[in-house]
Amino acid sequence: MEYSDEGRDRRITQLRKGILELAVMGVLYHERHYGYSLVGVLCERGSISLKEGTIYPILARLDRDGLVGSEWVESNQGPPRKYYALTASGRQLFDELSREFDLLVSLVRRKPAAPEQPYQIGKKLVVRKR
Amino acid sequence: MNSYPEVVERIANDYLERVKSQLRLVPIREQNEFLAEIESHLYEAYQERPEEDDVARILAVLRNLGEPAEVVYDRLPRKMARSGTARNLPLYVVGGILIALFGIPLGFGGFGLLVGILAALAGMVVAFYATAGSIVLVGALFTLLGLTRTLLPQWFDRLVMLDFVHISAPTAEFLDHFSRSEQNLLIILFGLVWLAVGLGLLWLGRYLFRGLRFLFGLLFDRMRRLAQGFRAKLRQENRDVSHVNQVSLVKSDK
Repeated sequence: MEYSDEGRDRRITQLRKGILELAVMGVLYHERHYGYSLVGVLCERGSISLKEGTIYPILARLDRDGLVGSEWVESNQGPPRKYYALTASGRQLFDELSREFDLLVSLVRRKPAAPEQPYQIGKKLVVRKR
Repeated sequence: MNSYPEVVERIANDYLERVKSQLRLVPIREQNEFLAEIESHLYEAYQERPEEDDVARILAVLRNLGEPAEVVYDRLPRKMARSGTARNLPLYVVGGILIALFGIPLGFGGFGLLVGILAALAGMVVAFYATAGSIVLVGALFTLLGLTRTLLPQWFDRLVMLDFVHISAPTAEFLDHFSRSEQNLLIILFGLVWLAVGLGLLWLGRYLFRGLRFLFGLLFDRMRRLAQGFRAKLRQENRDVSHVNQVSLVKSDK
């Protein structure tokens, strides 16, 4: 039985939504961005097609949890921009989440996460709820 | 706005107003900051759109940005943000039926009981003061009549003749056992006793008032504390959601 295009698209959207917060943290790990530039980077580098407005709830959530810090910077081209960057705790959390993500990717691709710790059949995958 | 054509500015302002109305429960400072952020986003996006027509450009920007409700999600108090999401429907249906069956009748019953208690208490106060007042009046009248009979006997006789004063047969028979001066004394004493009892009741009434005031004070205090607790809980929830980092406006050389 063949899968439908609609079902495939829905799953791709869900998958991307699931990792969007991690992707945002990944971008902010290396450089600071304001909302619009962040959307640009995600769409350009990550080939993610998203509604630009969805970035703001994610930033608000990260901000509320103290994972990003923000700073208003005057722009000579228009209104001031609010730049975001990961805080120390945000970086720490991103490192942990990246490792979890690598494990998931390795499971999906059936490759060991690290050479010294080969994947064992029967090992439980633990997804922590935060 | 920033060097937009007028029509574009109107459309952008309208969008910002809609965002603002979504943020009405968010603290003003956070509202303004978020609106400034969205304004900046609109400007940047507008500058980069390829469309030639101004209106088409701003509409495309707004379409890409999404509905205000989506943009402000996670800035609203948690209860509001959840209001549009899917819920455990059967549980809510059962809850609704239970409230309809028991909650509303109990609510009306409780209200009726409260009104009944208040009316009974008010009735008790009115009855108490009516009784005390009547006893004082009776006592005062008897004392006055006794004094009139002693000091102005012709006035008293005239009152009897005019039938303003009517003495029943058993009372008259009882009074006949005494001399006139003793009768007068008895009437005055009787009147003074009633007057004392009435005044005593009025004096005791203030304790009744104090008791009732204490009772109502207790009741209203409980209600006030309940309302304060509820308000504090709401405020705490708003604070949780509206946590904002310290923001500094930095002048860039870029």
